[in-house]
Amino acid sequence: MKRILYIILSIIFLTICLKACIKRDIPPKERLNNRILKTDVTFKFPQESRNVVLGGVDYLQSQAPVGKFGGEMVVSTIGEGPKTFNPFTSKDAVSSSMSGLMFDSLFTISPNDGKVIPKLAKSYETKDGKKYIVHLRQGIKWSDGKPITADDVVFTWNKIILAGLGNTSTRDAVVIDGKLPKVTKIDNYTVKFEILKPFSPFIRLISVQIAPKHIFEPVTKQGARAFDMFYSTNTKPDNFVTSGAFRLKEYKAAQRVVFERNSDYYMLNKKNQKLPYLDKIIYLIVGDLNNEILKFEGHEIDVISLRGSNVAPYKIKEADSDYKIYNLGADTGTMFVAINLNPRRNSENKFYVDPKKQYWFSDKDFRTAIDYALDRKNMVQNIANGLAKPLFTAESLNSIFLNTKIKGHERNLKKAKEVLINAGFKYGNNKKLYDKFGNRVEFDLYTNAGNTEREAIGVMVKQDLEDLGMRVNFKPVEFNTLVNKMTTTFDWDMIIMGLTGSPLEPHDGLNVWHSKGSLHLFNQRTEDDKKDDRFTFEKRLDEIFESAALQTTFASRKKLYDEYQQIVYDEKPFIYLYSPVRMVAVRKKFRNIYPSQLLGITYNIEEIYKDKY
Amino acid sequence: MIKDIFEGILKDKFATIALIVLIFIYFCLFFAEFIAPYSMNYTDRQLSYVPPSPIFTIDENGKLSKPYTYNYKRTYDEELMQTVFKLDRSKKYYLKFFARGEEYSFLWFIPMDRHLITVDNDGRLYLLGGDINGRDVFSRLLFGGRISMTIGFLALFVLFPIGLLYGGISGYFGGKIDMFMMRFAEAVMSIPSFYLLIILAAVLPSNMTSSQRLTLIVVILALIGWAGFARVVRGMVLSIKNQDFVKSAKMAGSSDLRIIIKEVLPQTTSYVIVAMTLSVPGYILSESGLSFLGLGIQQPDASWGNMLKEAQEYINILYRPWLLTPGFLIFVAVLSFNLIGDTIRDILDPKSKTR
Amino acid sequence: MQILFYILKRILQTIPLLILVSIISFFIIRLSPVDPLAELKLNPSISKETLKAEQQRLGLDKPLPIQYLLWAKSFVKGDLGVTTTGEKVSVKLAERIPNTLLLTIIVIFLTWSVGVPLGILAAIKWKTPFDRILTVLTSIGMAIPSFFFAILMLIFAVKSGWFPVGGLTSYNYDDMNFIQKFFDIAHHLFLPVTVLFTLSLAGLQRQMRANLLDVLDSDYVKFARAKGLSENKVIFKHALRNAVNPMITLLGFEFSSLLSGAALTEFVFQYPGLGRLILEAVLKSDINLVMASLMIGAVMLVVGNLIADILLILTDPRIRAKA
Repeated sequence: MKRILYIILSIIFLTICLKACIKRDIPPKERLNNRILKTDVTFKFPQESRNVVLGGVDYLQSQAPVGKFGGEMVVSTIGEGPKTFNPFTSKDAVSSSMSGLMFDSLFTISPNDGKVIPKLAKSYETKDGKKYIVHLRQGIKWSDGKPITADDVVFTWNKIILAGLGNTSTRDAVVIDGKLPKVTKIDNYTVKFEILKPFSPFIRLISVQIAPKHIFEPVTKQGARAFDMFYSTNTKPDNFVTSGAFRLKEYKAAQRVVFERNSDYYMLNKKNQKLPYLDKIIYLIVGDLNNEILKFEGHEIDVISLRGSNVAPYKIKEADSDYKIYNLGADTGTMFVAINLNPRRNSENKFYVDPKKQYWFSDKDFRTAIDYALDRKNMVQNIANGLAKPLFTAESLNSIFLNTKIKGHERNLKKAKEVLINAGFKYGNNKKLYDKFGNRVEFDLYTNAGNTEREAIGVMVKQDLEDLGMRVNFKPVEFNTLVNKMTTTFDWDMIIMGLTGSPLEPHDGLNVWHSKGSLHLFNQRTEDDKKDDRFTFEKRLDEIFESAALQTTFASRKKLYDEYQQIVYDEKPFIYLYSPVRMVAVRKKFRNIYPSQLLGITYNIEEIYKDKY
Repeated sequence: MIKDIFEGILKDKFATIALIVLIFIYFCLFFAEFIAPYSMNYTDRQLSYVPPSPIFTIDENGKLSKPYTYNYKRTYDEELMQTVFKLDRSKKYYLKFFARGEEYSFLWFIPMDRHLITVDNDGRLYLLGGDINGRDVFSRLLFGGRISMTIGFLALFVLFPIGLLYGGISGYFGGKIDMFMMRFAEAVMSIPSFYLLIILAAVLPSNMTSSQRLTLIVVILALIGWAGFARVVRGMVLSIKNQDFVKSAKMAGSSDLRIIIKEVLPQTTSYVIVAMTLSVPGYILSESGLSFLGLGIQQPDASWGNMLKEAQEYINILYRPWLLTPGFLIFVAVLSFNLIGDTIRDILDPKSKTR
Repeated sequence: MQILFYILKRILQTIPLLILVSIISFFIIRLSPVDPLAELKLNPSISKETLKAEQQRLGLDKPLPIQYLLWAKSFVKGDLGVTTTGEKVSVKLAERIPNTLLLTIIVIFLTWSVGVPLGILAAIKWKTPFDRILTVLTSIGMAIPSFFFAILMLIFAVKSGWFPVGGLTSYNYDDMNFIQKFFDIAHHLFLPVTVLFTLSLAGLQRQMRANLLDVLDSDYVKFARAKGLSENKVIFKHALRNAVNPMITLLGFEFSSLLSGAALTEFVFQYPGLGRLILEAVLKSDINLVMASLMIGAVMLVVGNLIADILLILTDPRIRAKA
């Protein structure tokens, strides 16, 4: 009995195996495509908001279509969530954007062209680029009912920002020739900012958030430590005194942050009803991209940015779904291979970079050969699923200062090899590359482990360079270790890295491109390195960055920044790879969505409303 | 005793199947270079995330044919923003067995270029599809398995001598030495093991070659495992040391260390075997967990853990199921080890024998 | 009185243990080449002055033993320091510990109420096909990598729409009444509990089975059988009590292994627990946070063992006599 059972079982097993082996070759019939919505990169915006006076109060009137009140929007933030709600101590993007919801800044930028437009302040004027007069709105209030006046602005600048409390990045940026700007009150609703020289990024720098003096003043007197702890994530929601369109309702660590509508906000719609439309904004704190996608799929969140291969499945379903996909164009981030050109020695008198490698790296032809060997096309195709653009310049593709004359090039192994041979490198047996002293060309390539995208790029770069006969040891290391290498020990050869820049302000790249910058990765100096051993192109970059910020017209700045991009492209201390395209999916029930290449999707959160879909 | 174990395993159906499965897996891994159509790092950039090659045995006219496959051709659909793979039916590639392919060193030293199964040079046979870089998942599974399936044993080789000696000394001498040594072991055990594991893995120096990294991960796994093991050995030694043969060895004037190694520790063999088979699957799982966090074996080297990492993306699970195969293999291997371990435990446990 | 003395002795014994744990973990962490300020250093808008201040605040410029002493001193005072982002470690831990305890206790309760009976059954039906199949089934649960199982569960949640995708509470949790709150949490806990339950069931079931087999083999059970008591009576009246006792010792260790095992599951399910916190802290090498959570983990383990020991003393007359 048992034996029969076994025989039957094995016969079934064998048949299944056989069935799996026999497969008929039937060419499939071409299926008709489903309805596919086109995703264009066109941006349309309503007219800019206007200042109107109603009952003695300076309101800001939105020109977007009038919508319905009520409802909530659930968005997500990847990582650990906010670390503080204090806009002056926040150091990370999440904390800054959340405190940005609660505290309005004086000015903001136009989603269309990046020009400075009024927000908490009514307007500004300047004649010589040295004196800025800022006019505030009359009659608008903090959430506890106290008026927002020039005292608050002067206090915020003189007692917080310029006093060096909290995050000092704004203070560091407004120092011109070692001097801080002067901020003085003219009357209750007028403030004067003064600097010594015209400085073009200045107006954007002074549009920071403003703190309520009556709340913050006692804290600033207790010193820096108390200030760092103030308005932390443990503060009770009721204790916040804010100016933004939304105020904190609930914060649950590692779970969510809930904001509720400020019912006495200074923005109006065209019917003069007080904005914002939405009752609540909920940020779900999610750990990683994967979880975010699952939550979007599970209808738990309303907005999601999609990258690379994640776009296609959503694109196919878009027509029959409850979301719409927007193409925001190129990302502000840049991805590059950095080459260590550091010629110095460390405190123990040892070279940071092995002199034999220095000889290769400092050779411009060597770097050019690498540039020509990289297969950007397949990186874009395989890693970003076609949703990216090859990148050749230091400015991101959506920068208004982008040097469009730099056209780049295709992969050209032949040319790369020619360049190498002309520079004195030799090919031995087995197509291995040797320098003119007979050293095998071999070096390390690092990137941060755990980032699938960069690891995949690393594998490709390694293969591309091995096609040139180099030997590349690709080592993904832990992020912190990598940063330590770049900022402290300098013992690396090549690194695949990414940095985010501002599409509006190349001056933000000062710390990367200036030879004294803290992120001058390719030739990082310590404070003890006093000797001037800059490369010629480094000197020119220093000059460009120092002078471009003091130019006042766009054209004169553009000329200088074009030159800097050309220098970077010619000298190739960083070899740029590609820049991903940003795609965002938003549920169709939300209206007044005007995607902006510069600001993203939810920058006009006051105007967004929820309708039936 | 080994014979007892084998007989015991063969008596149990599940354990027998598990043993066959494991032997089969290790056999494949041992001959990986020969079985795999491609080397670990063979790349075809046009085949990123390509689906598995279909193998046809009946051709388009309905006739039986030698097995053959087609190549995939990649196109990009701008509207769908999607890479599309279509079979290029213009040329058939017949499967060739024991044919020439990429060169390799068979068993690490014999140069060879024969492969179990290949296709013509410009054909591509990706039996389990491709990964993001266009590498053959099937071949990488074979090479990656080498790491995943041996890492546990390697760790055991480091851990057992330490654990045995530590437990042996502690139990044999007793008193204050025992007290101090056991407190230390308990302290190590009190640190939640997975946390300790990731901390140690995170602090690994970064400028290591992959084989160095593998060695260090092995050492780390061992460093975490030894304490619990030493504690049990010590308990066994405590009861063994009062037996007559130990006493007589002492009388004969053997040195303490000699007695521990020669007389006492051999008595713990059965426990050691059980502990070994039961702890190997744990190490396989630990490796996959480490790789999940990016702290394990690094690209471009393969291990089942870091291959499975790619499969974690939602899109990949739903649309590229072939990336899940390393997970399936981990599951099968761990299950087999567990089943065999259970059986061995039943066999070696002296109490269950008497009943 | 004697029992009290014994308990006191046990508590005192744990102190050197904890000190050892702290030394081991501190030196492992600090011997690493990892820079705790790495994240700040890569932020383009942070000045060198800011970085220097941070370095001083963490005491990073002092030698290791002093760093340890500084840390130990503040730990004893209950001040666990601040994270690299300036938040209080103690506050962060306080947010997470209850969630982790909730998850762990539910899982332990479930595994015990299922694993112990299954173990008994397997022991009674020893060497029958039932026993084998049961072992194989529980082994299957143990063989799936936990994070992978968790991911599959999440996808199940998305596709079926029956369960929320990770987390602990819904966003409108605060507006719910008590019963709704209860069900909301239960709804969220279901999948993570399922994963952890499946993973830890096998171990417990095997342990119980082995213990009962041991006891069934002992002399007094043989004696009871010889007296002619029915098999049921022998098992449930005599054997079981003695077989469960050693299990209590396990409780403490199970606690810690769950803490470890839950880390990846918490991570995947985005559960706001200690495991996820410590994982993220390790990946960022946030020294204070890692140290504190390691210590909390160790304390939980030691306390778990202590409770198990005390329970054992109270239930087992033999050990009471020894004490």
